[in-house]
Amino acid sequence: MSGRHARPDMNGTGNESDVTTAIPMVAGGSASGSTILQASGVTMQFGGLRALNDVSFGLSEGEIIGLIGPNGAGKTTLFNCLTGLYAPTSGAVSLRGNPMPQDPARVTEQGVARTFQNIRLFPSMTAAENVMVGRHVRMKQSPLSSLLHGPSFRRSEAEAAERTEKLLAFVGLSQFAGELARNLPYGDQRRLEIARALATDPAVLLLDEPTAGMNAQETEATRQLIFAIRDLGISVVVIEHDTKFIFTLCDRVLVLVQGELLVEGSPDEVRGDPRVVEAYLGAPPDEVDAQIHAAEDEGENHR
Amino acid sequence: MTTIEKAPSQALAEPPRGRLAALAPYTSVLRIVGGVLTLVGAFLPWATFVLNDGPYPEGATLEFFSEPFGVSGFRLHLVLLGLASIVVALVPVAAKGRIVRGFGWGVIAISIVNGLYITVEGGGFGAITASDGTAAFGAFVALVGGVVLVVGATAGGIDPPTHWDLKLGRVVEWLILLVAYAIVLLLVAAVLTSGGQGGAANPFSGAVFLSFLGAVGGAIAGLHASGLLGWIARMSERHRIYSVIVLLLAALALPLTSAGTEYWMTVAANIGVYAATAIGLNIVVGLAGLLDLGYVAFLGIGAFVAANLSGAAASVVGIELPFPLVLVIAAVVAGCFGAVVGSPTLRVRGDYLAIVTLAFGEIFVRSAQNNIGGLTGGSNSIPNIPPVELFGKGFNESVTIGALNLPSGVLYYVLIVLIVAAVMWVFGNLKNSRLGRAWIAIREDEDAARAMGIRTGPIKILAFLIGAMLAGFAGAFFAHKLGTASYESFRFLESVTLLAAVILGGMGTIPGAVLGASVLFVLPEKLREFADYRLLLFGLALVLIMRFRPQGLVPDAHRRAELAPESEAPPDHPDDGPAGGTTVKAAAT
Ligand SMILES: Nc1ncnc2c1ncn2[C@@H]1O[C@H](COP(=O)(O)OP(=O)(O)OP(=O)(O)O)[C@@H](O)[C@H]1O
Ligand SMILES: [Mg+2]
Repeated sequence: MSGRHARPDMNGTGNESDVTTAIPMVAGGSASGSTILQASGVTMQFGGLRALNDVSFGLSEGEIIGLIGPNGAGKTTLFNCLTGLYAPTSGAVSLRGNPMPQDPARVTEQGVARTFQNIRLFPSMTAAENVMVGRHVRMKQSPLSSLLHGPSFRRSEAEAAERTEKLLAFVGLSQFAGELARNLPYGDQRRLEIARALATDPAVLLLDEPTAGMNAQETEATRQLIFAIRDLGISVVVIEHDTKFIFTLCDRVLVLVQGELLVEGSPDEVRGDPRVVEAYLGAPPDEVDAQIHAAEDEGENHR
Repeated sequence: MTTIEKAPSQALAEPPRGRLAALAPYTSVLRIVGGVLTLVGAFLPWATFVLNDGPYPEGATLEFFSEPFGVSGFRLHLVLLGLASIVVALVPVAAKGRIVRGFGWGVIAISIVNGLYITVEGGGFGAITASDGTAAFGAFVALVGGVVLVVGATAGGIDPPTHWDLKLGRVVEWLILLVAYAIVLLLVAAVLTSGGQGGAANPFSGAVFLSFLGAVGGAIAGLHASGLLGWIARMSERHRIYSVIVLLLAALALPLTSAGTEYWMTVAANIGVYAATAIGLNIVVGLAGLLDLGYVAFLGIGAFVAANLSGAAASVVGIELPFPLVLVIAAVVAGCFGAVVGSPTLRVRGDYLAIVTLAFGEIFVRSAQNNIGGLTGGSNSIPNIPPVELFGKGFNESVTIGALNLPSGVLYYVLIVLIVAAVMWVFGNLKNSRLGRAWIAIREDEDAARAMGIRTGPIKILAFLIGAMLAGFAGAFFAHKLGTASYESFRFLESVTLLAAVILGGMGTIPGAVLGASVLFVLPEKLREFADYRLLLFGLALVLIMRFRPQGLVPDAHRRAELAPESEAPPDHPDDGPAGGTTVKAAAT
């Protein structure tokens, strides 16, 4: 097939031969598609604190970018600027060349979905209902049809329920469909958040520390999940403290330190870059991972 | 329908607590002893006086016990609960502890009401002694019996209610449901009319009512524990449409029961008005999680719109429109105000929104009191609103169908039943839709909802708009039914009571709102006899319900899991609790 149209099929009526039709899209490969998301000179000032300083980067279609940096570097703030939650003090974000709307709901409509560092599920809704909420932007139901429950309403509900089922299977949570989100194990809550984000048919998925609090096995499962998501043609940005995870997952890595984009490059380039080493407490390269793990544990405790 | 089913969550058995654990070996004995004591308590006055041929003492022969020697009224209830406890203790059934605990609480409630009443009305504390007032003494023996029952039940551990998996043929299930709903109907009529109208006619009505409530509550708790109620609930879930039709018919059949008098029809119609309003408020508070403290204003707007379009002499508009049209106009006008009141939700959240709505409620009452634009009649109210008329029949007239003579007020009752049914239908359909899920998502976590693409502004305003429309709808009925529209019916206290009805009944559920409205508007009516203590008792009842059933009387399946005391603490969950719209959240981190 030609090109990597990362735009999801809004109708969700793709062929149903396998699980990947849960998100019916053209399969993507590794990086090097055209730029889909572009941040140019994003600066975010909180009073006297400059959380982001002139950050620019581009995300290509089908690419996985890793975003690392010490605690308080501004990683989450960058996500918030990308998704319209914060209005950058200066600079611009564009999606497929169009300026990003200043409203999280419309950003999601445009095809950028996210998860949160501190899980933000709807705790007293079931796992399936959480994902159904994710379908909100792609469902067509006027208030009147919500009231009357006519044939078109039933169709759209059935479609959403079917997608929900597939997405839960996709992230491996089918058996928890009827369970309240708050009662899921921690790792599954993170996965459910991903399923909910995928339900919005995103072209870009922003994951804020998707493996925080997970054990090695769950982390590996998450890596496979992110690959699978990329293979659906969705571009992914991942924030993570676990550098091993990032270096083995991403096509490109950005290092953010005190709001500045310090280094940008392939995992190998970043791993060997002396500035990165220095940013992580000036330790020699071998110790970097250890240092960062320590930082990660600390970050855990703060939560 | 594509609603998502929730698997029944597995509540764990509650192990016997602390010191009670030591009593565990004696649970059966304790349960039997408690049951026997209850029986003794019930029969003690009879045994003392009748067997001895003695006179029934003055202080105890309250009219309340009009048949002092018969096993009726409260005595009958005690006998039944006591016997049932003994039977359950001896027969092999599951969840014994929970069943007996329910019965025990029923016995305690009856005994306390009766004991207190006879003691207070029947000559002070001295009435407790055997010589002065064995009737009261009996009540206290029964109280001890109830306590022993509860202790004995709890000591053996409280198992979750039994889950019956029994499925029968369709016709059999239909029949069972029919019988069940018929019993519900009779029970509703019995509770509604228990103690009579009160006032001069029966000064003991309040006590009789409370005592009866204790008996019904205990019996329901026991039946719930036995799994019977859950089984019937699941059965009615399987036959949804059938159940809805039968329930509607049962509601319409209330005039055929003992409640079929003008007085009770009026009470029932008033309950209906508040139930419909509470369901509307439930959209705003229960689903969308937006605290509204001025909600009764929309009921008032509906009422004044209807009053002005009724052709009442005092109305300035002076046109008379047919009632169905008035209903629609009242709903639309109230809805418009709802949207206006809701618009601050775009900017303020939680507590601040509550204050904005509170202010709106005040503005409305003050404006109505000052007869703003001549539309509300001020302190004169708008009197003489003509009754609803359809096909030349005034709704305030009595009805005769063949040999059947139905009192006046029946037509209004039927009308409000239909209105409540319509409001329920609106609520139920919206709740199970994209819009309803968006409301609940906003309640749960507004920022996350926005991140999921929900345009929270318009959706929140829609909640206010639709909620207000339902209240306006009810308000139009209210004005015609009462015959007057006065600002006094729409004060802050009314808003608070409605809010309490929603919370007490169970946020986000239809039966909850109806039950909550019934409780909150029947209780004050029934407790009239306690005069000065009325509000105190009323408040006490609220506190007790919220303490022991924080999830409300009929909780949402989800909130049940969230708040039920039986459920385990959730796993380590991030600090964002059940939003409920009352916390101002920092932006996503
Ligand atoms: N809404 C806000 N108002 C004021 N300061 C903020 C706000 N949000 C973030 N900050 C500050 O901006 C800085 C960057 O925070 P951010 O949460 O983006 O860091 P991070 O890189 O995600 O860190 P972590 O690894 O701990 O998640 C911090 O100093 C933080 O205190
Ligand atoms: Mg962060």
